[in-house]
Amino acid sequence: MREGRKAYLSQTQAAWVLLTPFLATYALFLIYPFFRGIWISLHDWNLLAVAFNPDAKEFVGLRNYERVMWGRNITWGFASPVLQALGLLGLVAAAYLLLTNRLGRFNAIALAVVSAALVFLPGFHPGEGGRWYDRRFWPTVGNTILFVAWAVPGVTISAMVLAAALNRETKAMGALRTLFFLSQVLSVTVVTLIWQIMFSPRQGLIANVMEVFGASPINWLTDEKFAMAAIVIATVWWSLGIAMILFLAGLQDISKDIYEAAALDNAKGIKAFWYITLPNLRRTITLVVVLQIILHFQVFGQSHLMTQGGPNDTTQVLVRYIYQTGFRDSELGRASAMAVFLFLIMGLFSVVQFIVGREKS
Amino acid sequence: MINKGYYWLIIALSIPAFLWLVPTLWMVSLSFQPNEVLARTTSTTFFGLIPLPFTAENYSALFAFGQTPWWFLNSVIVAVGMTLGVLAVSTTAGYALARLEFPFKKMIVVICLIGLMVPEQAVFIPLYTMFADFGWHNSYHALILPRMAVPIGVFLMMQFFQAIPKDIEEAARLDGVGWLKIFWYVMLPLARPAMMTLAILTFLYAWNDYLWPLVSAQQRDYFTITLGLASIQSNFAQSEGLGRVMASGVIASLPVVILFLIFQRYVVQAMTVGGSKG
Repeated sequence: MREGRKAYLSQTQAAWVLLTPFLATYALFLIYPFFRGIWISLHDWNLLAVAFNPDAKEFVGLRNYERVMWGRNITWGFASPVLQALGLLGLVAAAYLLLTNRLGRFNAIALAVVSAALVFLPGFHPGEGGRWYDRRFWPTVGNTILFVAWAVPGVTISAMVLAAALNRETKAMGALRTLFFLSQVLSVTVVTLIWQIMFSPRQGLIANVMEVFGASPINWLTDEKFAMAAIVIATVWWSLGIAMILFLAGLQDISKDIYEAAALDNAKGIKAFWYITLPNLRRTITLVVVLQIILHFQVFGQSHLMTQGGPNDTTQVLVRYIYQTGFRDSELGRASAMAVFLFLIMGLFSVVQFIVGREKS
Repeated sequence: MINKGYYWLIIALSIPAFLWLVPTLWMVSLSFQPNEVLARTTSTTFFGLIPLPFTAENYSALFAFGQTPWWFLNSVIVAVGMTLGVLAVSTTAGYALARLEFPFKKMIVVICLIGLMVPEQAVFIPLYTMFADFGWHNSYHALILPRMAVPIGVFLMMQFFQAIPKDIEEAARLDGVGWLKIFWYVMLPLARPAMMTLAILTFLYAWNDYLWPLVSAQQRDYFTITLGLASIQSNFAQSEGLGRVMASGVIASLPVVILFLIFQRYVVQAMTVGGSKG
């Protein structure tokens, strides 16, 4: 620095001046609430009672977690053989694929962990005379996973196929991409508004079209068999755009020479897609899948607005259950325990995303 | 490259593209049909995809009574306020973390990184109790402030500033210009593209957010349009008339769709960043 310029801030001072506004909001509205959430989850905390009298909360330790996730006389066994057999199969497949080098180590470990969880977790069930303290919690988690299990492959596969087809820089292709992306910018309430009426058995477009073909209308949103399918369809329609864009970016990285070389070997069209595009897109696929899992695990609006969690709780999802427990039943302690559970699952996938993202760059 | 197969591909892709557009098109078309007709049938002309019989009454009714215009205004205030707030805290913090050397810098970056993993759904209950203690609910700042704490904007700006060559700054330093002035007069003008992406990301988030306004704004006067639309859709057909609810939906979507059509490149970029980091 020149003489006589001492009035200027030093680098450290300038840095803190610039950082303070963000760090203050960050500490106050993210860090502090996060720990406060854990704090609330350790209390018997009624929303209304505590609002009137701040001392009306009682420290209960981990009781809320127990009341949400555990029960009386819970034992472990082969309670849901289908899922557990699937898990065993997954474990065997992971070991086989790893030994034959068909799968990277990271993916094999991921598959093994998921499979092990599938063997282990569904095994818990109430023994004789026992019951879950909260009958709705695990079914709700199951519904959320089911929703993710339908929506993620639905979005990923259709986005990948579309991206492969749209991977050319022409005006027509650009216009088509715009059309597919458009629904992505709409808000969840607009999406649910549109699809509620689309699915309506009396006024809905789907029912009207089906009527022409002589089919009787389906009560999409009130039939236990179709409600989950309905919110998955609306979700795939809504969130295809980002996945498509990520795949298009991934496709740009595949060199044109490979395709030309393959064309000489008569690998074109679907064959080229299978043998060249797919293997080269592996990283992008993993990235898209992980992102979608994180995104869709937090599903709320579709279930809250289209089916109200029904019929018979078949579309009740985790965030909606947290919202209801907290704001309808006023049980903030229990709701916070569930929110911590949600955060742990999200955090796990965020770590996976972080690792995948670093591998990519 | 352009051959017969290409044209077939375009034609083949036009079909799913049209199907993709149908739900949106249907909403727009229904909003231009009279409520009396819609109460009887929604498929008057070509499954209702063509608005005949035509009327613009739903829109004029929307502005004459009902709270939709007010909610729309709330959304504008919240979205613009949030965008300006996020830009202010993110550009300053992003610049400091990217270009200045100071103690504990690495630690701060790591702490901010951890914050990326905390989803809105994990903190909305404690935030609710906090804001209730402050007596802040049902206000614009209650709707705006929580998003300013999300570190994604800081990382977006940090990455951008890191990519700018150092010599621009060094030239200014040799002339004895202070750090804050360099930030304001040299770096910020260079950062316009990144700020644009961040602004669009934030605006879209603010406009479309549902969960936080749902718990924070209980008075209808402070509803955003997204929340207001949710509040009228559950009993749509009976009370308001289907056409009018659809008109509300169109009004609620108009700003984001226009934004998308004008700044398509930035919107796609913003949503990809937003989707991949928070």
